[in-house]
Amino acid sequence: MIQQDTTPLNICLNNLCVNFEERFQLHDINWQIEPQQHWVITGANGAGKSALAAVLASLGNVVKGTIEGLPKQVAIVSFEAQAELIEAELKKDDADIMDVVSEGTSVHTILLEHCCDQELAKQLIIKFDLQKLMSRAFRKLSTGESRKVMLIRALVSKPDLLILDEPFDGLDVNTLAMLQEHLHTLVDTIPMIMVLNRFDEFPTFITDIAYVDNGRLQHQIRRDDVQAFGELYQLLHLKTTNLSVPQADVETTIPALDPDQPLVHLRDVTIKYGDQIIIDKLNWIIQPNQHWQLSGPNGSGKTGLLSLITGDHPQCYVNDIFVFGFKRGSGESIWQIKQFIGYVSTALQWEYRVGTSLRNVIVSGFYDSIGLYSKFTKKQGQIADQWLQLLGMSDRADQPFNKMSYGDRRLLLIARAMVKHPPLLILDEPCLGLDDMNRQLVLALIEKICTDSETAVLYVNHHAEDKIKGIDNFLALE
Amino acid sequence: MSNNYFNTLPLREQLAQLAKCRFMHISEFPDGVEALKGKKMVVIGCGAQGLAQGMNLRDSGCDVSYTLRPAAIAEKRQSWKNATENGFTVGTYEELIPTADVVLNLTPDKQHTSVVNAIMPLMKQDACLSYSHGFNIVEEGMKIRDDLTVIMVAPKCPGSEVRNEYVRGFGVPTLIAVHEANDPKGEGLALAKAYAVGTGGHKAGVLMSSFIAEVKSDLMGEQTILCGMLQTGSLLCFDKMIEEGVDAGYASKLIQYGWETVTEALKYGGVTNMLDRLSNPAKIKCFDLADEMKQILRPLYNKHQDDIMNGTFSRLMMADWANDDVNLLGWRAETAETAFEKTPASDVEISEQEYFDHGILMVAMVKAGVELAFETMTAAGIIADSAYYESLHETPLIANTIARKKLYEMNATISDTAEYGCYLYNHACIPLLADFMKGIKSDVIGRGLSLDDLGVDNARLIEVNTQLRSHPVEAIGATLRGHMSDMKKIV
Repeated sequence: MIQQDTTPLNICLNNLCVNFEERFQLHDINWQIEPQQHWVITGANGAGKSALAAVLASLGNVVKGTIEGLPKQVAIVSFEAQAELIEAELKKDDADIMDVVSEGTSVHTILLEHCCDQELAKQLIIKFDLQKLMSRAFRKLSTGESRKVMLIRALVSKPDLLILDEPFDGLDVNTLAMLQEHLHTLVDTIPMIMVLNRFDEFPTFITDIAYVDNGRLQHQIRRDDVQAFGELYQLLHLKTTNLSVPQADVETTIPALDPDQPLVHLRDVTIKYGDQIIIDKLNWIIQPNQHWQLSGPNGSGKTGLLSLITGDHPQCYVNDIFVFGFKRGSGESIWQIKQFIGYVSTALQWEYRVGTSLRNVIVSGFYDSIGLYSKFTKKQGQIADQWLQLLGMSDRADQPFNKMSYGDRRLLLIARAMVKHPPLLILDEPCLGLDDMNRQLVLALIEKICTDSETAVLYVNHHAEDKIKGIDNFLALE
Repeated sequence: MSNNYFNTLPLREQLAQLAKCRFMHISEFPDGVEALKGKKMVVIGCGAQGLAQGMNLRDSGCDVSYTLRPAAIAEKRQSWKNATENGFTVGTYEELIPTADVVLNLTPDKQHTSVVNAIMPLMKQDACLSYSHGFNIVEEGMKIRDDLTVIMVAPKCPGSEVRNEYVRGFGVPTLIAVHEANDPKGEGLALAKAYAVGTGGHKAGVLMSSFIAEVKSDLMGEQTILCGMLQTGSLLCFDKMIEEGVDAGYASKLIQYGWETVTEALKYGGVTNMLDRLSNPAKIKCFDLADEMKQILRPLYNKHQDDIMNGTFSRLMMADWANDDVNLLGWRAETAETAFEKTPASDVEISEQEYFDHGILMVAMVKAGVELAFETMTAAGIIADSAYYESLHETPLIANTIARKKLYEMNATISDTAEYGCYLYNHACIPLLADFMKGIKSDVIGRGLSLDDLGVDNARLIEVNTQLRSHPVEAIGATLRGHMSDMKKIV
């Protein structure tokens, strides 16, 4: 025992794959929990947060990899553990061979089952206001009450590692404050791992954050890395928010299109510079509500092809191009074309070097302009604010765009492209130049757009892993 | 051969034409490009300005093609490449001019006479001829066929910006005019407005002017404050700093980027704001230096304005054109050999404020030049609005070219007329300021004032501030900047 107390906790998970009864899998977890660290595991619902926490309590079947340094005495408080205990209690009731009515185990017994500190137990029972329930059967408690019992049971067991999976859920305000206060007293003696979904609930003593997505440990971030922490906040916000993509502005009307006409029809289009032919007699039809992925190596003409559609390529006037009801070169203006298109690319981001506010950048999408040159309506401003809310940037609405991080600017430009709900949204390598976190942020936003709107998405990329759900048409250039 | 059109007009008509300049609101353009719909526009020349305007007009739904001289087409010169690579039809004058409803003459001033003489016989009955500078009409007295409508549409920025601002969804400030002697059907204004819309100019502000006001104010502004003063100032300030032992690389940098930095303050809040960026003692010093220079230089500004008004300037310049540009090319070569031009800017860090604090003399030169040009133009009958645009408003644009590549870039970017006038000014101005410069030390250029006491006399400061703020260029500037910011980018 004495030896264990002096050996600092150092848990190491190497390439760990764990199965949870075929229901859920954790993949390739590499994670080190060092002395003096207190972690939060966070992520969207179903991402695998609880599973990762449970691994530290030796739950699940290790399929591959190793886990080292787990202490002997691990206490876990989770809904699963709570449910298990209650189920076990209910089973006792089913033990009908005894032919007596089982009262089940009392709260008192459950609480003190693993108790190492009677004095502390007494204090906590009073603090949590459980005195009157001590002789009650555990299984007859309300959810909130049994949760308190589970917490006290864990706290008085003097664990070497304390795992708290959503410990604040279902607690009333007073109990919550009291629990948080108590956790602070443990900071120097017990390492803690908490599963939490709300950033505002992270206790101040948390030193590190693990972000889980799709059964994988995607990001490990130090609490004091302000930028990464902010990005993680946004990512989690986008993944978990109930907010949907803001509606279009009914007053900013895009003319109705004939639903039987393709949005885009290119016939034998060619792009050449001098003698060099980049695109040779290509045909392409994009129908309304049809999602496309366009791929091809560098220099294969992806961006050139897109700019034939957007009207930014001067050779659109010497090709047979039909877009949004216009035959190009028949007296239409590019602004008549652009009103139907939302567009995001790295090149746009380079050109969009303005000091205007985040709100104005999003509003500029209504006017297809780089910068804002028109007095916008109140309604347009409100819609921009809704987008900022969705992006988790409401508090920065009036800050200058060019002072934002590269990734944030990309997100804002996607919102700008989408703000008018164009019939066609063109995303030209939207993840280019982004780090992994920002890449996931952008993909999370695009997925939200794909599910929440009727816009046809034309997605260009060459990162195979950046697949977007719902895109089922492919054009590959050589 | 040439017959100065302005000089043929009676005085009251001259004054009436000079006084034309009105800022048009965007609401005055409800018809968009309608007046040009279905019309065939043929651009002569495909340099930066021609290409940018043509691309904008095409993107606005206009039918645009280019006509070049046969040699440019046969040899596939840059102008031919510019047009064809951007998907435009290119043809000779004979092929395209007879089909044109609107001919856009975007060649350099120097070529206007020969170009217009070549195309006029080919032009359709009742077609329209458009200029972007009025020199050929006003100074050379070009007579255009009576059935043709003659207009001017002049974006007040280099071609690259004309295109970039359009692509952003904005435009550049644009001057339009109708040559009243050639507006047989009264459709000149409608065509000019539609053309300005087609290039995006209506979003940034259109000035309704006259051919005469444009030429006389443009020439005056460009050769005095805009190019002349900045060139002379660059050379004098650099040589003084070297004489005073300031590091050459630092001196070069202070000048190259200093004009741009101090005139940025000018753009936002006029001469007042530019001087307000200085400390109180520096401001008073700067004010006194500017006053002294204004006294010395006023006769020079008057002479430039007189020569422009009576046609002497254009007559002498055209003589040089006829003489294979011997003067112009010689002066250009001299500029390339100056110490300032040949000394590269060092990479020493200079903060924005330091450009003011160490460039007191440069600020004084800008102040003196802007105020003198404005005072001289308005005294000659040019309306304050025009005088403002051709002095204060455009100074930052020219300063910007010096920041890019010093005097070489400035002289390469500006028109031939501006470059010629700039050298004339420079040659006259340098000796005029010789005595004045003898009294200049590095405290006002290069090192900044070294004062233990930043205190100033209250009465003197009040006097300086009052004079600064009550100059007429400040009043019209405040009004026009107000108009502009209504339509300008919401920054």
